[in-house]
Amino acid sequence: MTELLTVEGLGVRFAGLTALDDVSFRLSEGQVRAVIGPNGAGKTTLFNAISGYVRPTSGRVLLRGQDVAGDSPHAIAGHGIRRTFQNGGLFPALTVLENVLTGLTTETPGSFLDLLLGRRRALEAERAAIAKARALLELMSMGHMADARAGSLSGGQQRIVEIIRTVASEPPVLLLDEPAVGLSPVARAQMMEIIARLTGEKGVAVLLIEHAVELVMASADRILVMAAGKRIAEGTPDEIRADRAVLEAYLGHA
Amino acid sequence: MSISPATLRLRTALFWAVPVLACALPLATNPYTQFVLNSMLISTLLTLGFNMVIGSLGQLAFANVAFFGLGAYASVIAMNDLGLPWLATIPLSGLVGAAGGFLASAVALRGIRLYYLAIVTLAFGELLRWLYIHADRLTGGTDGLAIPREGFLGFRLGDDTAQFYVFLAVTVVLVKGTLNLLRSRLGRSIVAVRENEIATASLGIPTARVIVTAFMWSGFLVGVAGALFAAHIGRVFPESFGLTQLIVGFAMVLVGGTGSVLGSVLGAVLLTALPEYVRAFPGMEEIFFGLVVIVVLLCLPQGLASLLRRLSPVFLERHFRE
Repeated sequence: MTELLTVEGLGVRFAGLTALDDVSFRLSEGQVRAVIGPNGAGKTTLFNAISGYVRPTSGRVLLRGQDVAGDSPHAIAGHGIRRTFQNGGLFPALTVLENVLTGLTTETPGSFLDLLLGRRRALEAERAAIAKARALLELMSMGHMADARAGSLSGGQQRIVEIIRTVASEPPVLLLDEPAVGLSPVARAQMMEIIARLTGEKGVAVLLIEHAVELVMASADRILVMAAGKRIAEGTPDEIRADRAVLEAYLGHA
Repeated sequence: MSISPATLRLRTALFWAVPVLACALPLATNPYTQFVLNSMLISTLLTLGFNMVIGSLGQLAFANVAFFGLGAYASVIAMNDLGLPWLATIPLSGLVGAAGGFLASAVALRGIRLYYLAIVTLAFGELLRWLYIHADRLTGGTDGLAIPREGFLGFRLGDDTAQFYVFLAVTVVLVKGTLNLLRSRLGRSIVAVRENEIATASLGIPTARVIVTAFMWSGFLVGVAGALFAAHIGRVFPESFGLTQLIVGFAMVLVGGTGSVLGSVLGAVLLTALPEYVRAFPGMEEIFFGLVVIVVLLCLPQGLASLLRRLSPVFLERHFRE
């Protein structure tokens, strides 16, 4: 399996506070790695440091061996590490189709003048992007919602559209920040299926923050457990289930 | 709501029918109504440009109305001092406005947003007005500048009907260009930045470049409107480009509909035309203008464009193009 993402000794320090302390892990093609831990453990900081929203104060983030740590968020997304947001990142005023199209922006060429003058080059790229976005929506059984405003969708539908938008450009690495939060059991099952398809069929490497234990245990190949900005355990779901340090972090000292 | 190919064809036909029919308007006008018609076209460009940053990008960048004056002065100075024909000053004024937009976007990119951006850009507009007054060697001070009487290739600037056709052509081209932009990946990115800038960057979209582009295109449109205004009035002076102009522009955006090209046109046309009906009664113009704004916003908070959207999918404005 090709190693896609390598995080080495990643740390984030804000004026005296260590939010992320020396975290390392590897993520290979088609692999799902879950990141779990109590609130304040530094999971979202880890995501922000990898995706460029927080500048790491130490360590490296390698995508296929190339260090991207410290790049701007849009540059890192352009390299192929894309993420979703814990509180939802859809653009409510745009339609579902338009939202998915924004995920294809880097795949839609054309200079400013091409766009302004509506030149053939730009129009062809636009049509290709629309065809791809529609096909993706159909594939995920959301085709009938294409022209609905994203803001009018249910919470579960919004999560699914956000994932479709995030994977539209086929990024090799996907960071999902609590994709199942607030979802009904049915939507949750659908989300697990989507993740399984992305990794199984497309070979996407997924880093997953999730509190829903059954989702983590069912879909993760490996689990990284964090507490107070540090890695406290790492292993397969079965290993983590039996780990003493994990139990202590979650339940306090017995 | 999905839009059928037939609706799309109808929309295209409607779009081009408006300027074609407008070409016949000078047959039915007197000098006064012709003057008002010309004002409407200028207001349309001004509102279109202002709406780009206020509506689509969602930034309270009030300086963009000040670029109206920048464009107007640029046009007159280029005619007087560089001897350029008026027609050639139109794109030049657009570029001057775009340069102004670039400067204003630098403020927004420094993280100054919302009310703070409003105040900073308001101050910028007043600073420009101060400059028009005090850089009198260039601008003629409070007296302003008159434009040269003779135009280009026998084209007389004073002829309102001839002006109308030039204004109409420029407006149609720029409305079409703006629609093209808003229906492209750039238009989607501009709205995306308004809705959620952080999420926009996560899609590989360079948000700073999107903001700069929107500001510059807005400045371009407003600058061009300035060049038209200079020819329209025949004279530029500082008082034309004060706070009143900003309030009128802002009202046109809100009454028409934020983020809507159709709204920009409707707002500009309505708020230019209506006050003229009460012009005979001194002091009533402002009151009537205010009443229209209040009534429209109470009944249609999304502006006039939202009413048409409800009536027919022909008027739906989308951010993609099939």
